[in-house]
Amino acid sequence: MSESLSLSRRTLWQRMAQILGGLAVWHQVRPAPAEQTASPETGPQTVRVMRPYDAETPVREFTSYLTPNHRFFVRSHFGPPAPELIAAANWRLHVGGLIEHPLELTLKDLKEFEQVTITAVVQCSGNGRAFHRPKVPGVQWERGAVGNAQWTGVRLRDVLAKAGVRPNGKHVQLQGADRPVVSSVPLFTRSIPLEKAVHPDTILAYDMNGRPLPLLHGAPLRVITPGWMADSCTKWLTDITVQADEAKGYYMQTAYRVPVTAIQPNSGLPGTSMVPVEAMVVKSLIALPANGDQVGRGPVTVQGVAWSGDAAVATVELSFDDGKTWEQARLVGEDEPYAWRQWQFLWRPKTAGAVTILCRATDANGQVQPQESPWNPGGFLWNGWDHVAITVAL
Amino acid sequence: MMTRSLPLIGLFVLGLAGLAAMTAAQEDDLASVSAALAPRAEGLIIARCSVCHSPDLVSQQRLPKDRWAATVDKMKHWGAEIADDEADLLVRYLSARYHPAAPDHLPTLDHELRKAEPLTQEPADTGPLVGVSTRGAGIFEHNCQACHGAGATGGMGPKLAKNPILKQDDLFWETVLHGRGPMPAWGSVLSQQDIADVHTWLLTK
Ligand code: HEC
Ligand code: HEC
Repeated sequence: MSESLSLSRRTLWQRMAQILGGLAVWHQVRPAPAEQTASPETGPQTVRVMRPYDAETPVREFTSYLTPNHRFFVRSHFGPPAPELIAAANWRLHVGGLIEHPLELTLKDLKEFEQVTITAVVQCSGNGRAFHRPKVPGVQWERGAVGNAQWTGVRLRDVLAKAGVRPNGKHVQLQGADRPVVSSVPLFTRSIPLEKAVHPDTILAYDMNGRPLPLLHGAPLRVITPGWMADSCTKWLTDITVQADEAKGYYMQTAYRVPVTAIQPNSGLPGTSMVPVEAMVVKSLIALPANGDQVGRGPVTVQGVAWSGDAAVATVELSFDDGKTWEQARLVGEDEPYAWRQWQFLWRPKTAGAVTILCRATDANGQVQPQESPWNPGGFLWNGWDHVAITVAL
Repeated sequence: MMTRSLPLIGLFVLGLAGLAAMTAAQEDDLASVSAALAPRAEGLIIARCSVCHSPDLVSQQRLPKDRWAATVDKMKHWGAEIADDEADLLVRYLSARYHPAAPDHLPTLDHELRKAEPLTQEPADTGPLVGVSTRGAGIFEHNCQACHGAGATGGMGPKLAKNPILKQDDLFWETVLHGRGPMPAWGSVLSQQDIADVHTWLLTK
């Protein structure tokens, strides 16, 4: 019984691996003439990198409150780990470092802790990198490396409480099972400060939108740090280590950092100190109409989403005259702390021709979405006004 | 005298040295630089750079030369198998084709690539190549191991040790020279002697 189960699971893994690795590579290792035909607005997912697979969600999907798992953006540095490493029989969560009782937990053990569900936006720190000028190296994400999902799991604080954090433990290092193909590449090792780790809303999630976490999204377990960018949301989690200091290594000490104060573009690495990317900044997106759409006399429903890091969305405004005047959209639908807020605006176009619709949000702390985000060498935290270019035919 | 003869030498020296001696006028013409370097550079990108990630991660960047140099340097540091002259050529190519003002959608390279010349043209009449197994081990490690695993036991690419294809010379050479699907083409990266050496070494596995 268990044999046939594991066999079929293996076939499934193999097929997924083929699809993810083989087919992906097949299309991309050789320059494919057709590769640029899928439009970002209409494809099932907009692929940015075939291997390891990085893809964003077409923004029209953001007309729905929850982003479906198969459309949810995918990002990792090395792709999913080898299936054996995360198979239920082998996978363990290790908790070590500056704690009283080292733990080694199976998924079943983990599910003994109190279960919680949180709806939260997860956004890649590099979402919108393609809009920074001058351009910066990295995956050229546009608008869709973000999504809103319902995450179910257990509180990281409960697990840490069981292990017993020692007084000198100040940072919690997170390590997943994913590995680079060549071992000289640094591992994706991250850490979050203890305060964030023991926040009651920081969870270790095993379900996404009511389904077991898909492989591409970190099966069997990933970290969710509501309100913070996804560089803290380690997938395929296997090791939690409590430490006195921040994690060492490229992905913590060099990458995913921004200057504390604004710097001049291309001024090289700033003399100002660099701090880790943590909380999200206020941001909104127009889901419909889509770039290139043609609309009539209307009324046209303009709709989208808006969110912020640690405050609620207060207002969403639209401009149809390049930012000279702004009109307030109506906030609609669910209102949950870490989720995004949907908004709508009924628009009656008066003149025919090309129009760019601009959108900006303001949060309850008074943080306003800027026309352009401050330039930074990693191209993180883009939250410039969103815009779509459409045509009005009356 | 000397300044006048420099461009002339450039015309006569083939391969890397010739590209390095490209005149200032040609340097200005980014498109012609990138076209001239494309066959060899694209060969390197497929053979050396796509070990860890698909080349689309490279082609979507639009960077000035210093950022390209820093990027290639970082990759080398992380394990990309590229010699200094290859890195130099790549930076010149990448900064000519994928510079900040280049359009988002560049014409595809298929056409230019088809003209790719093998790195070394062995005369056809020297008789069969004799592979040297000990050399082959090193060539395998630097070029093939990342995908085919240590000892050729398989990885992201199939197991090559005891693979029946090793006994089918034509098919082996065809696959290695021209690539197949995700398997890079090595014709413009390795010499025929290199390939014969790897082949001989694989047969001992
Ligand atoms: C040993 C593995 C490896 C090899 C070989 C390699 N790279 Fe990379 N490269 C990486 C990793 C890891 C990243 C970061 C990927 C990520 O963030 O998803 C990366 C990212 C990049 C990026 C994106 C910008 C950045 O800094 O993240 C570019 C451009 C790039 N590589 C170019 C190249 C080129 C050109 C070559 C060949 C000379 C090459 N790479 C070879 C591992 C490698
Ligand atoms: C970027 C990864 C990669 C690198 C590097 C690579 N290969 Fe491959 N190779 C593959 C893949 C993937 C296949 C399977 C191709 C297919 O599915 O058709 C393959 C197939 C082959 C085959 C055919 C095997 C068969 O069973 O038909 C041979 C022979 C081969 N590779 C030799 C080499 C040699 C020799 C080198 C080094 C000079 C090399 N490969 C480097 C990925 C790679």
